[in-house]
Amino acid sequence: MIDFKERYSEKKHFFRRLILICTFFGALFLYLLFKTFSLQISSYTDYELAALKNKTREVLIQPRRGIIYDRTGEIIVNNVPSYNLILNPSQITDLNNLLLEIQTIINLNDSDILYVKENFKIRSKLNRELILKRNLTKEEIARFEVRKYRFPNSYIAERYSRENLFPYLFSHSVGYVGNLNDDSLQEILSLQDLSPKETIFKYSNGFLSGKTGIENVYDQELRGFFGKKIYEVDASGRLLKEIDTIPAIDGKDIHTSLDLKSQKVAFRELKNRRGSVVAVDISDGAIVTYLSSPSFSVNKIANGLSQNDFNELIEDKNKPFFDRAAQGRYSPASTIKPAIGLFGLENNIIDWDFTIDDPGYFELPEDGRIYRGWKKGGHGKINLQDAIIESSNTFFFSLAYKSEIEELIKHLSYFGFGRNVCLDCFLPDNGLLPNPAWKMNTLNFGWFKGDTVNLGVGQGYMSATPLQLAYYSAFIANKGALNKFSFVQDDKTFPKDVFYSSNIDDKDWEKIHKSMIGVIEQPKGTAGRLRELKDYIIAAKSGTVELVSTDTKEDYKIIREEEAKRDHAIIVAFGPMPNPKYAVSVVIENGESGGSVAGPVAIEVLNSLLDYE
Amino acid sequence: MNKIFNPNKSKIYFDQYLFISISLLSIMGLLFLYSASQGSTETIIKQSLFVVFGLILMFVLSQPDPDFYKNNALFFLILSIILIFLTMLFGKEVNGAQRWLDLGFFTLQASEIIKIALPVFLAAYLYDKPLPINLLQTFITLVLILTIVNLIRVQPDLGTSLVILVAGLYILFLAGLSWRFIGISFGIFILSLPFIWNNFLEPFQRQRILTLLDPSADPYGSGWNITQSKIAIGSGGLEGKGYQMGSQAHLDFLPETETDFIFSVIAEEFGFIGVCILVSLFIFILLRCLYLALNARDRFCRLTIGGLSLLFISTVFINLAMVVGIIPVVGMPLPFISKGGSSLLSFYIAFGIIISMATHKKLMQR
Repeated sequence: MIDFKERYSEKKHFFRRLILICTFFGALFLYLLFKTFSLQISSYTDYELAALKNKTREVLIQPRRGIIYDRTGEIIVNNVPSYNLILNPSQITDLNNLLLEIQTIINLNDSDILYVKENFKIRSKLNRELILKRNLTKEEIARFEVRKYRFPNSYIAERYSRENLFPYLFSHSVGYVGNLNDDSLQEILSLQDLSPKETIFKYSNGFLSGKTGIENVYDQELRGFFGKKIYEVDASGRLLKEIDTIPAIDGKDIHTSLDLKSQKVAFRELKNRRGSVVAVDISDGAIVTYLSSPSFSVNKIANGLSQNDFNELIEDKNKPFFDRAAQGRYSPASTIKPAIGLFGLENNIIDWDFTIDDPGYFELPEDGRIYRGWKKGGHGKINLQDAIIESSNTFFFSLAYKSEIEELIKHLSYFGFGRNVCLDCFLPDNGLLPNPAWKMNTLNFGWFKGDTVNLGVGQGYMSATPLQLAYYSAFIANKGALNKFSFVQDDKTFPKDVFYSSNIDDKDWEKIHKSMIGVIEQPKGTAGRLRELKDYIIAAKSGTVELVSTDTKEDYKIIREEEAKRDHAIIVAFGPMPNPKYAVSVVIENGESGGSVAGPVAIEVLNSLLDYE
Repeated sequence: MNKIFNPNKSKIYFDQYLFISISLLSIMGLLFLYSASQGSTETIIKQSLFVVFGLILMFVLSQPDPDFYKNNALFFLILSIILIFLTMLFGKEVNGAQRWLDLGFFTLQASEIIKIALPVFLAAYLYDKPLPINLLQTFITLVLILTIVNLIRVQPDLGTSLVILVAGLYILFLAGLSWRFIGISFGIFILSLPFIWNNFLEPFQRQRILTLLDPSADPYGSGWNITQSKIAIGSGGLEGKGYQMGSQAHLDFLPETETDFIFSVIAEEFGFIGVCILVSLFIFILLRCLYLALNARDRFCRLTIGGLSLLFISTVFINLAMVVGIIPVVGMPLPFISKGGSSLLSFYIAFGIIISMATHKKLMQR
């Protein structure tokens, strides 16, 4: 047996060890409480947020895209409802039976059924809806609605599709929408501080984004703002109940300056030829007619094109996708002559009385090279006004010859050449206003005097888009002051581009107008044939773009056997005179005659705009 | 210590502090479990039956004289080892672990029985040895402890085997294991850690340890449980979200809410205040036991009370530390709170024995 003393020391020993253990566990539990404290008190907000994030699921609500109108309030692009048959899988017990029953009233194809069968289980588990069939016909809707009491867990829901009501008329101006890629979607959502993946769609085709034209340039306005629904979810992601809804804000409607009536006329008159028509209101630079031809159906593009159809469009040698109005590069040819004449007046090289003797060609003094006019034997003794009316090349060759190239370039850029003239056009080309530095850099050749001489009649390196030609036309019409072009004029108060000159006054502008009126109204004018097509006065200047340089008419006859080598036809015009309202440019590729081929199109468009039909 | 004398001069052995605090814990446990089980009446009825039966069992087991346990300690140990072997042969496999023996009316987890039997046996074995124990006895007891721990570990049940290991070591420590020996053993343990890592841990156990070190590495995979548990606890804040209002628990983000992670539910719904109250109750029970141990009648009783109460508090700590994210997820119920028959009953048994040890006095002492 253990004696008392031993018992006492053992107890003391035991006590000491107990104290040690107590201290040990005391420390452990203090640490535990400290850890809990730091979770529950110090980091409370973080974890509260995490728990909230856990139990809520945000679902995007797609906004409705804005409608696009023409200037008279006609709808160009609309959201056309389509109807989809939707199932509510979490309530459905016998899918196969339901599908069989629905099939008796609505035709379902194999891919619809396969899609539903594949996604039924997961959608049911998550309590999400499932689209059984898209774009129901009226008959299908009617048949379903009558029997809908039999299908408590399926319903018809409205979805939009984006539709251009004039799919060929506004292909390039209004453009088309396509699917939004993931990166752009993320970008758009991050602007709104949103990040959910799921979406309640308003459109059958999902997320839309403007790909070209006004749809692209005004994408942000048209798009609107996403809304969101906040649901409570469990750990498996199943939607339990709706907590909150922030409605989507629909996109803004866009009222453009486009004019449906004149657009129709331009389309009719171009007859699918390769070319372009641009007409503007000269008072504010509003684009009223904008056509690139041939055209294509934007609706087909926006709603999904078969690979075959797509390839056909891409490989079409007439390049219907190509926006000739903003991106086609053409030499301005003789249409440039009024601007060159103004340059001569501005720099005191010539005045209105100054005449030259036109033998039908210009000989470059440096090397004797010959630059020919269009009329054999020439125009004889001729001044600026007649040189414009009769389109004397020799007059402008010799005027350009006396010009300083850098000064001339600067002068021409006032008229819109070589720069962007549009505020809201889709990818406009700047054309080309050549200068010695440009030639050295790109062609590795010095500038010849002959290059300046060519510029005098709008040939050579210089090129301009139909949009720039229209701007040029409007700039002259408005006597050297013009707003940049635009499709939409809402709250845009930009200063006009103004041509300042001490040497050119209102009288000079009027004389230029008078010369351009003469192009049509005078017997010797190059576009005299247009006189009968209208009941009012129009100013114009036609041009013929030589694609291959020929010396004689006989040579050209050989050349023109091949359509693609025929001259382009160009005309710029404005009216009604003497107080012009609209300016127009027409380009018809390989149309040969500016006056008689492009001219009538310009007249018809002006007629339509001025209500002279 | 309370001895209630009845007219027939036979005594009833009873400690009101432990009895009241354990009953209180059990009732709170039922309330917590009701919320954690999403209001499952079936679970609650079953658990209530266990609680009532457990309290009765505790009372009954506190009546025999400590000598009864001392004299039968070896028998109980052998019986529980047989149960372990039976489990290995005929046990029910759940989630890849063979821990349960189906007795028809009750599935028994034999490791929960040996958890009690081993410390009692060790205390009985060391009862009449001169203290501090010599090297041979230390060696014998250590071999016994490690053998049993390993039997449990291979089931696999890392949590329980760990608790049995520490319970055995507490007894040795309280019996006066020399500090030199403790120091040397600890050194060997540290050095053999890589060996243990490679040879004694299942891949999933290694993963759990790695997860603890960085739960954010795989928040939806292996880190899911601990991440969600921390969110539940943290979002409880000071006052909690209210009874049955925990979104983490009720929307299924928390795993194993009825068993291992029930503390997360409590912390989410009752906040830091609730946590403090619960922890205080556990600490109170420990302190009461240690007080009783100090005043027990002999070495057997001291060691048994000390060993069992430390076993209890270790279980509590491991569970709380696991759900808070201090130690890896090991699978450990919260005593008197978590759902489960065997583990719940084992603690009523342990406290029955503790009360018996504390309330019986030797006649010669008086």
